Amino acid sequence: MNIPAYYLKMVVLVLVASTLVIAGCQGRKSPGGQDTLTVGMELAYPPFEMTDEQGTPKGISVDLAHELGKSLNRKIVIQNMAFDGLIPALKSGKIDLIISSMTITDERKQSVDFSDPYLSTGLCLLVGKKSPITSIADLDKPGITIAVKKGTTGHIYANKNIRHARVLVLDKEAAAVLEVVQGKADAFIYDQMSTYQNWKKHQDTTRALLQPFQQEKWGIALRKGDTQLKEQINRFLKSFRAQGGFERLGDTYLKEQKETFKELKYPFYF
Amino acid sequence: MRKDFAMQLNISGVSKSYGDHVALADVNLRFSDIRAVALLGPSGSGKSTLLRILAGLEIPDAGDITLNGDRLQSDENWLLYHRRSVGTVFQSFNLFPHLTALKNISLPLEKVHGYLPDEATALAMQLLSRFQLSGHADKTPAQLSGGQKQRVAIARAVAIKPRLLLFDEPTSALDPEMTVEVLDLIAELRQEGRPLLLVTHEIGFARKVADQVVFLHEGKVLEYGNAQQLFEQPSTPEMRGFLDKVLRY
Amino acid sequence: MVVFLVLTLLFWFSFSRLRFAWGWDAVYSYRAMFLNGWLVTIAISSAAMGISLVIGLATALAQRAPFLPLRYLARVYMEIIRGTPLLVQILIFFYVVADAFGIGNRYLVGIIILAMFAGAYISEIIRAGIESIAETQLESARAIGFTRTQIYRYVIFPQVIRQVLPPLAGQFASLIKDSSLLSIISVSEFTLNAQEVNAFTFSTLESYLPLAIGYLLLTLPISLWSKRLEKRFRYAT
Repeated sequence: MNIPAYYLKMVVLVLVASTLVIAGCQGRKSPGGQDTLTVGMELAYPPFEMTDEQGTPKGISVDLAHELGKSLNRKIVIQNMAFDGLIPALKSGKIDLIISSMTITDERKQSVDFSDPYLSTGLCLLVGKKSPITSIADLDKPGITIAVKKGTTGHIYANKNIRHARVLVLDKEAAAVLEVVQGKADAFIYDQMSTYQNWKKHQDTTRALLQPFQQEKWGIALRKGDTQLKEQINRFLKSFRAQGGFERLGDTYLKEQKETFKELKYPFYF
Repeated sequence: MRKDFAMQLNISGVSKSYGDHVALADVNLRFSDIRAVALLGPSGSGKSTLLRILAGLEIPDAGDITLNGDRLQSDENWLLYHRRSVGTVFQSFNLFPHLTALKNISLPLEKVHGYLPDEATALAMQLLSRFQLSGHADKTPAQLSGGQKQRVAIARAVAIKPRLLLFDEPTSALDPEMTVEVLDLIAELRQEGRPLLLVTHEIGFARKVADQVVFLHEGKVLEYGNAQQLFEQPSTPEMRGFLDKVLRY
Repeated sequence: MVVFLVLTLLFWFSFSRLRFAWGWDAVYSYRAMFLNGWLVTIAISSAAMGISLVIGLATALAQRAPFLPLRYLARVYMEIIRGTPLLVQILIFFYVVADAFGIGNRYLVGIIILAMFAGAYISEIIRAGIESIAETQLESARAIGFTRTQIYRYVIFPQVIRQVLPPLAGQFASLIKDSSLLSIISVSEFTLNAQEVNAFTFSTLESYLPLAIGYLLLTLPISLWSKRLEKRFRYAT
């Protein structure tokens, strides 16, 4: 091979440089310095994680994060990223906490630690109007197509339990909803509250089967072994709840859901 | 041998324009027995245009041309038939670069003149060896020198046993050494008695080899006739001036 | 090439000694997903390549057609395809156009989109190939007495094919890489499968390294072959 010598040297140089840079980035504890907590969330999940018209983070999780920061006396920086990238980012030190309506699961516990749960909800189905599905029992049948969002518990559930139906893995919640609306998918497995919202937006093309078939609890995720921070967060959650903080958040953002779920007799979240 | 090649050429009132540019204006020529005809004249005088019309590549705007009694028609089918009876060699890019020298000669024989592949190959090899090119039979044009390429092009033109050979400045793109090998070949063909029309700047060669000469100037035929006569005694000032210039050195 | 690989491996291994906990086991248990995705990518890319050749040839000829509306149509098609990102084309085509026409099979739609995308670029390659044939050669062929069909068959096409094969091979490699975008409409090709494994195992590097290598395994041979072709067919006109 007649690769010119200088070219080869350049390549080696680039390799060395990039390796050093990557290695250097590995050990950093907190990207913002000791006083800042970088909180990762995917700002695509109203009303928990979303943005206002100017693009500033807004929502229940955002408020919760800022309250946490106040109680710990640390600055909070919100980092927007794709849901399935949150845990890798936490592991590599790009973020310090995940407050993104993340369900506590055993698999996830292998990679990260969780705080005490702060919310209960369940997986349910957004179903196309023309679809034959009436309950979870109708789901895993040949000829049925199920949409899930990548990296969510819906995706994990489908991967574990669905053997006969086809599973469509989408990047974004909006894409999965579109698939159901257009009849390309029969059902979208997602949490109760978003399913309710999505149904409200597409009432002539979808139905919501809000009866949860899998209970879930959300927690704040942090790096393994960071016990001091975990205790601090759990203490905060206890006191925040005692002060009625969650009630306030519920009234501000989830008023309609609260009413509907009361009527349907589903237990409400917090 | 001469009898087979006898060729009568009559051109009357031929004109050809390209847009505003008049290439040929009322050309009249009469040859009862063409041998080696040299078409001479300054650049832009219409020599190439006349040659291309004779090759069947252009249709004149006006006028008549008969070759041995056959009138040149403007019908495309007829022109196809005519082109197949005439061999043309251009200044450059004659050969097809993706074919070997042998294939360049044998392909037209097979596909245009209906030879069987073996016959075509045999005939092609024959010509190549006659022109001292048999060692180059399997080479592509990129591997041949300019002179070799032109000689293969001539072989291709000769292979189809044409009733007329046309050369459009065949050596203008060659350097002096290769020019000679090509001119030698043309001289040989003339010895065999094949009728040929040669547009060339090699006036010295024309003097030696041409039997007849046509002198064109600005699209008009100023003089034509026996070569020796015209070279010794050009009657028009334009031809005299032209010869004077080209033969100065 | 071997030297390069050895060096890379060396660096990765020293890197791993540092502090990174590799999770290869988790990813290895999903190896069937990688293989399936890889095969789907090959299948989709090959099918799209075949169709795109037809589209490209048709468009190239249409651009030279005497029938003006045809020429215009070809130009419009090319400007749109070459002026918009493939991702946008995929989204619009699948969620808007295909939906309007009732075509539900996303694999079929994916292949069509890729074919249309590559077709626009291929038509340029073919057009350049055709126009690169020197006028004088066509003159020569005419003078020999070849019919128009014969000229196309014996002079133009043999040369055009030799001319366009190297860039076409390169286009095939691009197509293989571009097929990764079909993951966005949940076509279960290589990239999506790797992303899913990542979602289950949280092992990003271990999921995506095989992904990159898998694509290289496809594109490197093609690019080497393309260079070999170029050398073989290079000749002075």
